[in-house]
Amino acid sequence: MTNGNRWERLHKRVWDLLPWYVNGTLIDGERRTVESHLAECPRCREEMVACQRLGEAIRQTEEIAPTAHPARLARLMERIDDEERDHGRGWLRALLAPWHGLASSVRATPPLARGALVAQLLLLAALGSLLLRGPQQTAAPAPAPAPEYQTLSQSDPAPAVPPAAARLRLVFAEGTTEKEARDLLLGIRGQIVAGPSALGVYTVEVPADPDPLEKVLSHLRAQPRVSLAEPAVGP
Amino acid sequence: MTETEISLLRRIAAKDRKAFEALYHRYDRRLFAFILKLTRRADLVEEILNDVLLAIWKGAGGYDARSRPSTWIFGIAYHKALKAVARREPEPTGELESEPVERDEPESLLARRELATVLGRALRTLSHEQRAVVEMSYYYGLTYQEIAEIMGCPVNTVKTRMFHARRRLREILPGMGISGGAGKESR
Repeated sequence: MTNGNRWERLHKRVWDLLPWYVNGTLIDGERRTVESHLAECPRCREEMVACQRLGEAIRQTEEIAPTAHPARLARLMERIDDEERDHGRGWLRALLAPWHGLASSVRATPPLARGALVAQLLLLAALGSLLLRGPQQTAAPAPAPAPEYQTLSQSDPAPAVPPAAARLRLVFAEGTTEKEARDLLLGIRGQIVAGPSALGVYTVEVPADPDPLEKVLSHLRAQPRVSLAEPAVGP
Repeated sequence: MTETEISLLRRIAAKDRKAFEALYHRYDRRLFAFILKLTRRADLVEEILNDVLLAIWKGAGGYDARSRPSTWIFGIAYHKALKAVARREPEPTGELESEPVERDEPESLLARRELATVLGRALRTLSHEQRAVVEMSYYYGLTYQEIAEIMGCPVNTVKTRMFHARRRLREILPGMGISGGAGKESR
């Protein structure tokens, strides 16, 4: 092999490694190979600068990534509950959703002890029957204890149907924990129906009854963990 | 940190919700950004992210600690994202930057969005695989071996994808000084 060929092969190898030289993840041997080649190859030096610029540009877009959203966890946990319920074990939790802490202790209890705890809690199942009037009711976790429970999506035209639910836009303050977000939502009997948008805006549905939306909004705006609460205009 | 994440995954395998919450807080934002960067599909991100987190909840028992937890997790995200995109293509709107801009957005954020838009447009001309390599290298600072593991391909494939991505970006982004002088490199 000629010197020229050997140099060309080294050049190709270094060229391929440049992105990882720039991001600082090459192992020592590779890094040294790159550095000694860079010293004698203007094309690779130029390409290295290009790689650095691309890297900087890509990292600068970091800020448009949304901040962590604890409320997504709340929804995810609901989905996990739903899936486990589908497996026939989690159905009781649906009945206990208003007593979230209690439900958590069921989860935290070892399976055998859980059986005993569940047996005691079965006393509450009579109340649960109120929640099991249709598939929609079981799908939507009850956000708060409500003696005369009605679901938001109820299509039954009976006179007891509450007014349509209202929607609002909500942004949680930076650093809000999942529990704080959940408590806030429980406090307004709200349920996230969309979001977060890329800018972190959630769309939350609240029952229009008993509190008018304005009251809910002013309550939310007074919370340190809420950075924005506005009525939803669009969908 | 890695040690803790390994033990978190073990606890998650034992259906420990507290451990899952802890892992969620560590990864939620990173995964959100990763999936968005990979797919450029704001409309799909949350659905994919939820699938990934659920897969972690269900599959943590399958993590064998041979790779870093982050590599394992990003591997799940990569495959879920690609699968979701393949199912949904073509994009309904075609434009990631058609996202509504909040009226009161500060100028600095607007400038960043502008850069992100230009860069996003350029990155969107890459294949998903090429884009994934670029993002994993530059944004996440991963080694090419880790990227190969995440993508489930040989390291040479990673390098080749990066090679083509760099060449394509040089063509599109001369204004960003990423033109280099070495567009002559070929393979």
